[in-house]
Amino acid sequence: MKAFSHSLISCCLLGSILLATTDSIAQVECSDSVPSPLLPPSEVIAEDHPGDAGGAIIVRWKLSPDEAKRITGYEILRSTSPTGEFSSVGFAATGANRYVDANTEDSLTYYYKVVAVDVNKNASESELSPPARSSAQWFNFHLLNLLIIGGLICGAVIYFIAHAKKGKKLFLRRIAGLEAVDEAIGRATEMGRPILFIPGILDMDDVQTIAGITILGRVAKTIAQYETKLNVPTSRSIVMSTAMETVKEAYISAGRADAYSDDFVHYVTDEQFGYVAAVDGIMVRERPATCFYIGAFFAESLIMAETGNSIGAIQIAGTAMPAQLPFFVAACDYTLIGEELFAASAYLSGEPKQLGSLKGQDVGKIIAMSAIVIGAALETIFAISGSSLFGSLAELMHKLFSIVAG
Amino acid sequence: MEFFEKLMSIDRRVIFLFVGAALIVPLFLDIEQKIEITPEVQTLYDAFMELPPGSKVLMTFDYDPPSAPELQPQAITALRLCFDRNLKVIIIGLWPMGPMQANLALETIFIEKKYLDREPIYGVDYVNLGYSPGNELVIQRMGSSIPSTFPRDFRGTPIEEIPLMQGIVNFSNLDFILNLSAGYPGTVEWVQFAVDRFHATMGACNTAVQAPLVYPYVHTGQLTGLSGGMKGAAEFEVLTGFTGKGTKFMLSQSFAHIIVVLFIIIGNIAYFVTRGREKEKIG
Amino acid sequence: MDSVFSNTLAAILTIGIISFLYKDNPLYKFCESLFIGVSAGYWFVQQYYANLLPKLFDNLGITRLLGAENVADGALQNLFVRGQWDENLLYLIAGILGVMMLLRLVPQIGWMSRWPMAFIVGSIAGLYFITYFQSNAMRQMQNTILPLNSFNNLVLIVGTVTGIIYFYFSKEHKGAFGGAARVGIYFLMVTFGASFGYTVMSRMSLLIGRLDFLFGTWLGLVK
Repeated sequence: MKAFSHSLISCCLLGSILLATTDSIAQVECSDSVPSPLLPPSEVIAEDHPGDAGGAIIVRWKLSPDEAKRITGYEILRSTSPTGEFSSVGFAATGANRYVDANTEDSLTYYYKVVAVDVNKNASESELSPPARSSAQWFNFHLLNLLIIGGLICGAVIYFIAHAKKGKKLFLRRIAGLEAVDEAIGRATEMGRPILFIPGILDMDDVQTIAGITILGRVAKTIAQYETKLNVPTSRSIVMSTAMETVKEAYISAGRADAYSDDFVHYVTDEQFGYVAAVDGIMVRERPATCFYIGAFFAESLIMAETGNSIGAIQIAGTAMPAQLPFFVAACDYTLIGEELFAASAYLSGEPKQLGSLKGQDVGKIIAMSAIVIGAALETIFAISGSSLFGSLAELMHKLFSIVAG
Repeated sequence: MEFFEKLMSIDRRVIFLFVGAALIVPLFLDIEQKIEITPEVQTLYDAFMELPPGSKVLMTFDYDPPSAPELQPQAITALRLCFDRNLKVIIIGLWPMGPMQANLALETIFIEKKYLDREPIYGVDYVNLGYSPGNELVIQRMGSSIPSTFPRDFRGTPIEEIPLMQGIVNFSNLDFILNLSAGYPGTVEWVQFAVDRFHATMGACNTAVQAPLVYPYVHTGQLTGLSGGMKGAAEFEVLTGFTGKGTKFMLSQSFAHIIVVLFIIIGNIAYFVTRGREKEKIG
Repeated sequence: MDSVFSNTLAAILTIGIISFLYKDNPLYKFCESLFIGVSAGYWFVQQYYANLLPKLFDNLGITRLLGAENVADGALQNLFVRGQWDENLLYLIAGILGVMMLLRLVPQIGWMSRWPMAFIVGSIAGLYFITYFQSNAMRQMQNTILPLNSFNNLVLIVGTVTGIIYFYFSKEHKGAFGGAARVGIYFLMVTFGASFGYTVMSRMSLLIGRLDFLFGTWLGLVK
């Protein structure tokens, strides 16, 4: 499986590398005759932008009959009095029939005019819009679908957390990478060499770092029993203090408080590549037998994993950063891919909150899969049969997930 | 067989040597390489070309010197395009070093002959509002008020004294956003906040590492064009008719890619041949 | 002269770091230590001048209070001298939370540092829930509802659905479900391969940048 995965990655790598290595004259209709006067846009309506915190008015209009022939855009003019001076507030591109004026004061009444402009800078002004005033609303109905679907998933998360808190068992499938953790710690103990744990380079507000620290707790507890040396360099001060507490608790719960040292966890620098340079230095000098890279990573992932590989360490990685996963898959022995990291964290900690969250998210995945499969089926039937019923149903599915631009 | 076994245990430094040579030698060669234009870069270029003169473009420099080889050529091309088309440029950075990278790009442009006589005027044609800490929260705040997010430019001038900033309240007063990004905070955050929340129109220039992450946003229309890595920089340069470092360095890129491809093919052959032999031994 | 010196220094440091490719050596160790020290110092100064000074001290008026003349009055002056409410006073709450974060250094009251942490994690989680759900879930799903009338659409839909199946943790990967998950992981591997290709390009670009500096800017051999 691993060999096949590597080959697959290699093939795609080849493909993408090979791919990487490899004015129009506007036709202007000329006419000797004098052009007819430019026709203005019509039916200009201005109204409060719905579902916002105020401060915005939507202006809509019917396109000028000359739209297709000569219009280059529409200038939006505004005034607080129908007879007062109008000033420009924005410009809408050709073909646009709406403009959001997001700089209004809720206490004022505004009047709008829309001016069609052609290639020769001729302008033609519309009639005045009815008065409009912006106001704030408590609820944005455009995002109702977001509330319903989000509410469903959140509800599922809360339900499963409550379920787990009652002590009921929640099933989670086996995660292959986890079984390697004990094996890797055992190997370091046999070789009498330290274990390096990198909890990513983001702060404690990132959920991947939290998952990394949870896994660190479990790793530290096993290490405490084996008396192997642990080294946790961090790139954030708060991560350092949290990791320190976690490791200390792990040692205490393993009954080895005497073996704990504050030196296990230390801060290096916030600077990404400065941190990598330090970790690389630690690797080649201390030659750890096992390296864990669990958390959020960026460009440093490959540099660290490659150095770890060069010193012959067993490497276990876990991250939800899509761009960094390829390197870990290629350079490490086991990789927790994406959400497997959180699953591993939940699995190891057995915490109701983590387990419940994971199960709740599975409900979200069922919703997503069902919507895609049903929606694609409706679209396909519509494409084949042309039935308006299926067309409307497919449209409905699209609307269910669409975010309307106000 | 022995050859393949030796190959499997080849010193990595030999590979480094080959790659190094493949990168260095083309720097001294004067060979022109054909650059194919991808639809994503074409869309980005078209977005600039469709903006009427005088349009306001927000350029966000969310990278630092380590990513400059990829992003600086793209920044230079985008700035030149804006000045040539008389688009007004507002520069900000969510990375501390971003606005400094912008100044370096401007310095590179302004020593060009065509700009010596008619250098764009600071405060009228372009402005650098500097860096603001707070990552994506800065974008969120800009959606309500740009002047309160950036009360002064990087020189310390109050924003109300800058002609270009007159009448700019939030994203609705900007015609286009170009995000130059090397990671977090970057294009993902700009799409989530400026595009999806405040409905701004945005294109992006990314490092090649970031590009696969943001491709889905091009597919959905959340991003209007994307230029990724040095290849994207070269394409952007070709479209604007200006030969910069993106085009110049593509030859080194191509040579190195060929070497890497060869090593991957040879490595895989060696891997499967030696693995087969191991099985024979075990059998 | 100035630039010759700084370029030479930068070149020596670049060579020092690249020398790690051969093996660990004293020059690399020196460059590594220098880099770590300078970057840690830089971040400290950066945080002070970009965050603490303008956002907290200037906005509240503490710098003015301490006698700085080139800054305007802050929120404290507006409140106590002019009797006006200034919204910048809210920075006081941020300042208090910041101080509470530092209390981690005092073991007896270290627990107080959990409050600002809770504030950060809670507010960021709330903010992200909406933005990620909107941009990365809803919009992406909407654009994956496509007719199966082209190869591209087929790949997109099968890839998305099997990928989600792989990350479904409530069922063991066995039988047809396991088969679908296996297809999902193959799709992931293909994605990783493509992503790896892009990264090779990116890393080469960075190296080209340094080589251009060494052979062009520093030695003047490349124009």
